[in-house]
This record gives sequence, structure tokens and C-alpha cells, in this order.
Amino acid sequence: MFSVKGITKSFGGLLAVNGVTFHLENGEVSSIIGPNGAGKTTLFNLLTGHIKPDSGEILFKDQDITGLPPHRICRKGIGRSFQRTNIFPRLSVFDNVQVAVMSWERKCRNIFLRARNMNQKETDEILDGVGLGDKKKMTAGLLAHGDQRLLEIGIALGSYPELLLLDEPTAGMSPEESNKTVELIQRLARGRDLTLLFIEHDMNVVFGISEQVRVMHLGSIIAEGSPEEIRANDEVQRIYLAEED
Amino acid sequence: MTFQGLIIQLLSGISTGMVIFLIAVGLSLVFGTLQVLNLAHASLYMLGAYLCFWISATLSEVTGAFWWALLLAPLGVAIFGGLVEVLLLRRIYDREHLDQYLLTFALILIIGDLCKLAWGVDFNMVPTPWPLNGPVIWGDIIFPRYNLFLILCGPVVFVGLWALIQYTRLGKIIRAMTYNREMANALGTNVPLVYTVVFMLGCWLAGLGGALVSPMSSVMPGMDMVVLIECFIIVVIGGLGSLPGAFLGSLIFGLVNAFGILVAPRLAIAFAFILMIIVLIVRPWGLMGKPE
Amino acid sequence: MMEPELNRSHTIKTIGGLVAVLVGFLILPLFLPLGWLSLVNEMIILALAACGLNLMLGYAGMVSFGPAGLYAVGAYTTALFLYYTEIPFGLALIAGPVSAAIASVIIGWFCVRLTHVYFALLTLAFAQIIHTIVFEWYGFTKGDDGIVDIRVPAFLESITNYYYFSLIIVCICLALMWRIVNSPFGKTLQALRENPERTEFIGINVRLYQLSAFVLSGFFLGAAGSLFCGFNKNVFPNYAHWMKSTEMLVVCLLGGVYNFLGPVVGSIVYILLDKVITSFTQYWPLVLGLVVLALLLFLKGGIAGFISEKVSAGRASWGKGERNV
Repeated sequence: MFSVKGITKSFGGLLAVNGVTFHLENGEVSSIIGPNGAGKTTLFNLLTGHIKPDSGEILFKDQDITGLPPHRICRKGIGRSFQRTNIFPRLSVFDNVQVAVMSWERKCRNIFLRARNMNQKETDEILDGVGLGDKKKMTAGLLAHGDQRLLEIGIALGSYPELLLLDEPTAGMSPEESNKTVELIQRLARGRDLTLLFIEHDMNVVFGISEQVRVMHLGSIIAEGSPEEIRANDEVQRIYLAEED
Repeated sequence: MTFQGLIIQLLSGISTGMVIFLIAVGLSLVFGTLQVLNLAHASLYMLGAYLCFWISATLSEVTGAFWWALLLAPLGVAIFGGLVEVLLLRRIYDREHLDQYLLTFALILIIGDLCKLAWGVDFNMVPTPWPLNGPVIWGDIIFPRYNLFLILCGPVVFVGLWALIQYTRLGKIIRAMTYNREMANALGTNVPLVYTVVFMLGCWLAGLGGALVSPMSSVMPGMDMVVLIECFIIVVIGGLGSLPGAFLGSLIFGLVNAFGILVAPRLAIAFAFILMIIVLIVRPWGLMGKPE
Repeated sequence: MMEPELNRSHTIKTIGGLVAVLVGFLILPLFLPLGWLSLVNEMIILALAACGLNLMLGYAGMVSFGPAGLYAVGAYTTALFLYYTEIPFGLALIAGPVSAAIASVIIGWFCVRLTHVYFALLTLAFAQIIHTIVFEWYGFTKGDDGIVDIRVPAFLESITNYYYFSLIIVCICLALMWRIVNSPFGKTLQALRENPERTEFIGINVRLYQLSAFVLSGFFLGAAGSLFCGFNKNVFPNYAHWMKSTEMLVVCLLGGVYNFLGPVVGSIVYILLDKVITSFTQYWPLVLGLVVLALLLFLKGGIAGFISEKVSAGRASWGKGERNV
């Protein structure tokens, strides 16, 4: 369903992503892990069109999406949450998700209709799904950090993605919050038939829910397999121990 | 156009360029380090000119009054700038850009009227100091001596600043901050203090520009507006935050103006803008700035 | 956030308030001396210009240093049509905002490719170019002399009549703008302001929406310019001067950029302050500068923001729970 072939990107002389190749099946839940600086977020930025790859190919549902701008990639059905919380601070929680839904339904060009109650059902449904239904009138910037991360996911869901790329969704959360978030994401994934790809540092999350784990190091994928296989992989152990994550 | 005419035009262009360099370099420096476009920079230049006039008039009995004024006026402006930075600018660094523009715009209004209050609305003259008064005559070429002096001042200031930035500790910090403010912060530099010092340096440069230019043109209200937009043009062309860029941009500006007037006098004013537009469209970070 | 959560009694109060204000404006000519009425006319035209600017500034977060350029395009288009041709006043008036919108498409296309300070400086450069063209093209635009004695229809000659005319036009424009900012497009602009990167990734072509905001803004700025041209019966190059641009920016700040009626409040206060202060001191710039400083440091949301905060705080203390900003 999602194929990445030989994606490469350099900045100046620095090779950030080096010939990354992998394939995601429909409905798969997998993670990419690796020490800091391995190129994970850069890889995500390449996949979502924020940066153009120097070479390589990205295929989504058999369509070539390499080099498309982010807003087009979003419309193909790929959603993303960001590593640093990326919401609309001065808008209400409701508005944050609503604007994503309206955009998906191509209503944003409209300058005549009233937006207040547009797509209320869909927006409420998503907000309830991430557990923010009772806070929908709050100003997003005033939410607690954990709730903001949830809103992040909510906004991504507003674009009705089939593939969801999550960049460290539990960053900065307590273990308890992390667990809840992960459960939530799993529930959502099953309910909406999503394919998920995480970047994560929290190993509990990674080994808890991923079917496949890919390890990145210095821009390449150096290991790929089930969580058990990766845990047993000597090279991976060495990299993590040496880097003192 | 005779050869002599061309030489004079060339010198004229270069001296215009050096003058505007002296005024605009502080603006570029402050933007590069503090990421604030100080709209009031030209007002500080005007303040420097007024202080120079006032000091040299007050000390008119003393020999070398102008040179004393040249020394003291920029210091006065720097101190004023320091107060502004500590009391006002500090509060808006992490605010929206609009707030920063409006604050510095408010300063334009305030400084402008303070100068009017202090020194009235008439224009004032600063006599050209000996031995720089009078023309230099070289065959058929006649050129004001003071303008030649200014042409020399440009590179002197440039080299001085360049040395400061390359070889001193402050300079290292400035360079680090221009590249990556968060890193500099993380490295333990006292960012607020550095901001104040750099801002004061920018103000000092503006004041120096004002003092140096004062014998050449009348010191009067509105002299800030005349150069403000020219300053923007320079720093955009050269690259915000780039010292060599400001120098290059100023030279280009001066020459375009000098020769543009020959080609199409009525549109001469627009040439600089058109140049700025071209640069902003093709290469927004200027000739020597760094791409975002 | 831009409009507080409205429950029924609040809606009734708001509408009631607006009607009262409107009625107030309608009956002003009955007791206000003509000099003052003229001033109010100036206020509402400036309010239109500032609201037009705020479409870009407060809603889309795009700081422009050159709104006066488009204002002048509107004014000069109307003036030139009335001066050189025989077309009816109404058509000349409409030609203003239309040509300003066209100019905005061209200027905006270049400008939206940049952000922040570079965007602002480029808008300034274009405004200055417009100023230079108008100033230098003496043969066509009469340069520094300006175009004077512009013909207006007989029924609009009187101050009172032009006042009502302006009021109608401004109200129509404000109603249109209100519609726009409450539409999905308007919400998208706000999302753009808050987070352009994120907005891109909900499927919005950010550049296109910014250009649209720029053009809409230009349309209303041009409308204000045309209206002022008819009001003053003249146009001068300084309509495009950057001092005029900063006046509009200050007005927006004064009233509050995050409120729809903020610029209206701002223009009323600004012009009142201007007239009052200039009547007893020549140091109006100093006072204005100090006022702007005070606003920036103490009243961050402008006057309207301040009032709106007080209102929300008041309602929140009635136990409504969540607070809306």
C-alpha cells in the first residue's frame, strides 16, 4: 500500500537519509526507531512532501507521490502528527479539528456560508474519539501538554487519512499518559482501518504495539523485523548502547 | 560625458554608497543578531547628527570641536539606545513581528519630536572641520575633500567591524547568534546582555553615521525619513545580517543612483526600489545573506 | 475565539448593541455641526481601509507595510476615470476597488512567496513604486499637484449626503467582510495565521489562500480609497505614502487586530485623538508614539481586545466554565 524505494537526501555535504527502502501493508502498525540524528524526522519530512528527495520513489496505493507538495499529499490520504506540537493555539479545540475536516471536504474556498456549525457531527466524533469532547470550546493553546498531543492526532484524523504518520506522539508524556495515548491510537486505528507508522523513542510503545520495527542509523535502515527479532538483534543493541540513548 | 565627468560621477556614487553604508550597517547588524528590524534606526542616525551639531556648537571655542563631537555624539546615541533596549525592546522580543515593528515605529515618532523639542524645527549647519573643508583639485576634477574623507571612513568602519566580529569574543558570540540563536542560548551565553551590547553597537554606528554626515547636509527634522527607506534597500540587497553584504549593497546603491540619474533622472528614485524588488524576488536573503 | 461563544441572550445583546450604534451614526447629522460630521465621515472611511487591511493582518497574520499603495490605486483609478472620461460616478467608484484587486493579484503573487520581514519589505517596495509612478507621471496623474475638483454627482455635493452615502457603502463592505471572516475561508485564514506549516498539511495550498487574502484586502482598501477620493474631491501622491500605511497599521493596533470591529474602534479613537491633540500641541507624533508604546506594553489586544477580555472574564465568572479568549 505504501512503498518507499531508495529515498536519499543530503543537506550540504551531510547525507541525512541514505537509500531508505521499505514497504507497508494495509492496516500494518509499525515503528521506526533509532538514536537521535538517525534521520527519522527527516525521513518523515520527505514522505510528507515538506522536503523533496534527491533521488528515490514514494508510491502510495500505486500512485507516485514523490515530490508532491504537502497539501497534495495530504489529499491523497496521508496524515501526520508532528514531533513538536503543531496545533492552532488561538483557535478553539473544536475549530482546530473542524478546519481539517472542512478542508478535506473542500469547503475551505467558500466565503459565503457560515462556518460555525459546519461538519459539527464529524468534528465531534473525532474529538470524542481522542477524548477531548468535553473540552471543545477551550482555547487550544491553553490545553495541557498531553491534551495538545491528542489534539495533534485529532487534527490529523480530520483529513480522513488511510496512512497515519506519527512523529513521537507520546513525547513529553508521563508513562501513564503514554499508555492511554497508545491505547487510544490503537483503538482509532482499528476503528478507522488505518495503517500506522510511528517514530518513537519509548520502547514500551514500540514493542507493545508494533507488528514490524525498523531501525534507522545514520540515514539507513539497518534492521527490520518483528519486535522480538529486533530485541534479539546484536547490532541494534550495540548501536543503542554505544549511543547511550 | 567627459572622462572627468565620469570620474566625478563615480566618486559621487561611491561616496553616496559609503555614506549610506555608514548609516545602514548598524541596522543590518542588529537584525542579524537580534532578529529585529529596527525601524527607528534612521531616527538614531538623526539623533547622532543633532548631538554632533549641538556638541560642536557648544564647544565652538575649542579647537577640534567637531572631532570631540564626533567622539561623543555616537556615545550619546549608544547610551540612549541602551536605555531603549533595556526598558522597551526587551519586552517584545518574543512577541509577534507586528508588535516589534510598531514599537520601533513609535520610537521614530518619539525621537523625531524629541529632537524638535530640543533643537527646534529650523535646519542647522555643522561647519566642515578643518582640514577637510574645501575641494580637492586634481587636474580638471574637482571633488569635495570631505566626501573623500567619507569614502575612506567606509572601509575603515568596515574593517573595524569585521575585525571585531572575526577576532573578539563578542564577535564570536554575534556570529553564533546570527547562525543559531537557540544554540547560543544553550551554550550559556548571557543572551540579554549580548542583545543590549549589540543593540548599543548598532546605535553607536547609527550615531556615528549621523555625526559623520552632518557637515555634508543640513541637520533638520525629517532627515531620518529621507534615509530610512534607503537603509532598508541596502540591507535587503546585501542580505540582512551580513556585513560584507551591507558594504556591497551600499556600493551598488550608490553607483546605481549616480549613473541612474544620468540615464533617466525622473525614475532615479525608483531604481533602488526596483533593485530591491528584484533581489527580494530572485534571492530574498540578499546577495550575501544566508538562505533561510 | 474571534467571536465569543454566543448564547441567545448574548446574541440579542450584541445585535441590540450594533443596532444602537448604527442608529447613532444615522442620527448624527441631526445635531452635529458640519465640520464634525465631515470628521466622522473621515473616520468611517479610514475604518473601512483598516478593516480591509485587517483581513490580511489580523486574520491571515500577514504584516503588510504597503496597504496605502492599494488604497491609492483605488483612489487614483476613480479620480482618473472621473477626470478624463464622462462615465457615471457610480461606475468610476466601482472601478477603484476592482483595479486595486487586479493590482493586488500582481503584487500579491510576488509578495506571498516570501514571509515575515521580507514580505513586509516587499509590500513596502511596491507601495513606494506606486507612489513614485503617481508622483512622476505628471502628464497623466498630475504628479505632485494631484487631481483636484473631482466631479461628484449633485446630490452628493453636500457633506450630509456624502456622509450617508459613505455610511451605506462602508456598512455594505463591512457586512461582506463579516460574511467572509465567518466562512470556512475565514477560518482557514486564521488557521494559516496560527500555523502555516500545519495548515499546509491539512490539505490547504497556503500560497493560494494567502494570495486570496491579499486580493480581498486590496479590494476593500481600494474601495476605501475611492470613497475618500469622492469625499475629499481630490487625490494626491501622498495617498500612497508609507506614512499613510503606518497610520492604517496603528489604527488596527489601537483597536485590536483580533477583533472584527477592532479597526473601527481604532479609527474612531485615532482620528479623535489626532484632532484633539493637534488642537493644543504641535507634537502630535510624540503623543501618538507614546500612545502606541503604552498600547504595546500594557494593552496587548488593543482597545477592543481589552474590552472583549473584560466581557469574557465577566461571563466566565458567572460559572460558564471554560474561558474563551
